[in-house]
Amino acid sequence: MALNYDPALIGRVFENTDPVPVSAEMVTNFCQAIGENNPLHSDPEAAARGPYGSLVAPPSFAVTFRNGQHFFQHVPRFGKQGFDAGKDVEFVAPIRPGDSITLSSHVKEIYEKTGRTGSMVFVIVRSTLKNQRGEVVAHVDHRFMNRP
Amino acid sequence: MSTILDLHSHSEASEDSRAPLEAYLNWLKLRRAERPVDGIVLTEHRQFNRAADYRALEDRFGILVLKASEVETDYGHVLVFGVTDEMTRRFDFTDVNLPAARVIDEVAQMGGIAIPCHPGRPNVGLCEHYTRKPPLENVVAVEVLNGGSRKGEDERSEQLVRSFGYAAIGGSDSHLVSLIGLCATRFAHDIRTIEDLVRELRQGAYKPVDFRPRRNPVAQPVAEEVK
Repeated sequence: MALNYDPALIGRVFENTDPVPVSAEMVTNFCQAIGENNPLHSDPEAAARGPYGSLVAPPSFAVTFRNGQHFFQHVPRFGKQGFDAGKDVEFVAPIRPGDSITLSSHVKEIYEKTGRTGSMVFVIVRSTLKNQRGEVVAHVDHRFMNRP
Repeated sequence: MSTILDLHSHSEASEDSRAPLEAYLNWLKLRRAERPVDGIVLTEHRQFNRAADYRALEDRFGILVLKASEVETDYGHVLVFGVTDEMTRRFDFTDVNLPAARVIDEVAQMGGIAIPCHPGRPNVGLCEHYTRKPPLENVVAVEVLNGGSRKGEDERSEQLVRSFGYAAIGGSDSHLVSLIGLCATRFAHDIRTIEDLVRELRQGAYKPVDFRPRRNPVAQPVAEEVK
């Protein structure tokens, strides 16, 4: 089956969110929610003596930043069924309280494969997170599986 | 000297694997007694990574690393050994509906060998396609032992081999570090290059070997009741 989509959509940024300020309370709440007790993420004094010089958010905090409400309108669909097939996260730099995080997204890749259960089309949407200085802090690849 | 190779594995170059090659080799070094494989073949999905050079890792761990590809065809998945530039020009490896008959014949003409893998698997295995379409010609071997097989799949593959007289290979189909080397192929002769491998696969002096651990027998409470 030839996949029918406009190749121009690959790489075209469709989402730029407003900055989301990160507070120490957000980091603390996140740590409590996931049971993280590493002092680098929960104890400002210990974190000040650590490799980052101050409190930093746990790496998985990067996936808490959400795309805009029209995100799914821009994710190509193939067939009627599908589901979230997971995320790959590349951590580039720590996120700290006081940062403001923006998120931009584009379709990175579309490919087809076959497996035990039949044909599948995967759509990979990459969200790039940047801080207020324009530094990339993480890439999050959202993997969506479609059943054609 | 014989050689044992895991003929089917996926590194993080495949989109559904998270296993770095270095971790595979380190794991095999640690598990040498249980999985005595001399080398592995990376058969990445729908691609061939010609530029990748693994010699430094091979030397460090003393384990052979060869490169091949797993493509998808109208008769299921097929391992292609001895991939050449001409093959990647002639076939779009990303196409999930490649014509299997052409792949088998033309890969052979271009100096390689194409071997259907996990034939007992639903949808992507040869057995199911043979129930709807005529059998392929010029198949030399199929993968009978696959480390990712579910109950009954390897048994279907064995039945296929008995019915059609194909030679049989084994591979772990590993996508995770801890699964590498669980199934492999024992060759009668020494293999050091992909050309050696293709030659041996064509000649047929090999058999699949299974290093998967056997589960301990479960206690039988029923026997107690019978007493």
